[in-house]
Amino acid sequence: MLFQIDFQSGKPVYLQLVDQVRYAAAAGALRPGEPLPSIRPLAEELRVNRNTIAKAYTELESQGVIETIPGKGCFLKDNHSPFTKAVRQKLLFKEIDQAVVTAHHLQVDREAFLAMIKERLDYFERKAAVAEDEGSKTTPRRTP
Amino acid sequence: MNNTIEIRGLTRRYGKLEAVNGLNLSVRAGCCYGFFGRNGAGKTTTIKCLLNLLRPTAGTVRVFGLDPQKNEVAVKSRLAYVPDAVAFYPWMTVRDTLEYFASFRTHWNRDIETDLLARFGLTAAQKASTLSRGQKTQLALITAICPEPELLVLDEPTSGLDPIVRREFIETVIGAYQSGDPENRTVFVSTHLISEFEGLIDQFTIIEQGCELLTMEADHARDRFKKIRARFAQTPPPLRLPCALRVTLNGREAEILANGNSEQLIAELESLRPEEVRCESLSLEEIFVASRILTPSVQ
Repeated sequence: MLFQIDFQSGKPVYLQLVDQVRYAAAAGALRPGEPLPSIRPLAEELRVNRNTIAKAYTELESQGVIETIPGKGCFLKDNHSPFTKAVRQKLLFKEIDQAVVTAHHLQVDREAFLAMIKERLDYFERKAAVAEDEGSKTTPRRTP
Repeated sequence: MNNTIEIRGLTRRYGKLEAVNGLNLSVRAGCCYGFFGRNGAGKTTTIKCLLNLLRPTAGTVRVFGLDPQKNEVAVKSRLAYVPDAVAFYPWMTVRDTLEYFASFRTHWNRDIETDLLARFGLTAAQKASTLSRGQKTQLALITAICPEPELLVLDEPTSGLDPIVRREFIETVIGAYQSGDPENRTVFVSTHLISEFEGLIDQFTIIEQGCELLTMEADHARDRFKKIRARFAQTPPPLRLPCALRVTLNGREAEILANGNSEQLIAELESLRPEEVRCESLSLEEIFVASRILTPSVQ
């Protein structure tokens, strides 16, 4: 998995890592049961403090995205929302609102915006399907 | 006192020159602390006071809660230091030098030594006098990391090194040093090659003329100091943005420095109907360069 850190994005580095793992999980680049890179090599590669990676993994664990198996590492969880439906909705509304505001400023109207959302949903579904396909061909799926 | 380094009101004069003037600084255990300043700002003087290579004129310095003057051995046995210019006895080989350094330490990790020698491609039989500058720094880093000290003090460690050696140096600090016992591995690094250490720094202090100019958590600083770029259809009228730190107009483009109020500034800019507005964080290096503009508004 490829991480990219941008110190100028205005987002704390650990949150960038959190988002990228979540993105990879949604796009099927990382599948349930697959291990995340271990802290030390990833820290060396990205040249960031190992505490930053540890913080990102702790955050992902508390969000229920990954689980840590002592002595083995971190793995993507199967069904990863520990939140109730109401909380999930609230979290998602916040993100959708942001996109709605941006769309408004860019003069993207309602129909075009909805079409874009559909397009992105299709995109992720296709990507996940392709990843799943290739995965079943090459690596056997393992569960921690 | 849980802080690894605690400096209160440190002053050090050389004759009439005040190299350090009332400096305060706290470094918590397990943290990677950046110490930034221009040449002659007082960085090396401060570091020498930590190591009891210089006596403070006034103020207190505590390392692991101890006074480096009174408990010199207790302090030094728990830390390691890599200066900017390293010197070894020229007649010793790499192996001799490592044995010599190890003889002063109660603990020496041979596995790390073997690993790093191989990684840096150093030959044990080579004479120290024939090493290049980069290789000398690598050897110094090995002598600093093998004892697995609680505190690693680096004074301009990567200046004058080529990019590959610099990269390896930083990877080694992160990997071989930091991951051993992360809670108890503190790094104190003075540098002006800030961008290279950007990802490593948890917290930093900018020092100028011996005084602290700015101390902040790196994430907090990047969240607070932002650069907004706005492009207008025509050259805009002079922008009246009293809460901006600095406004620079360049034709149709404006660059605005924000201190924690980027959203408000963006909203004000939007009312002028720009073609495009972009906002990004200042890097630590840009914060350092602009620190004189940034600081009056922090205090």
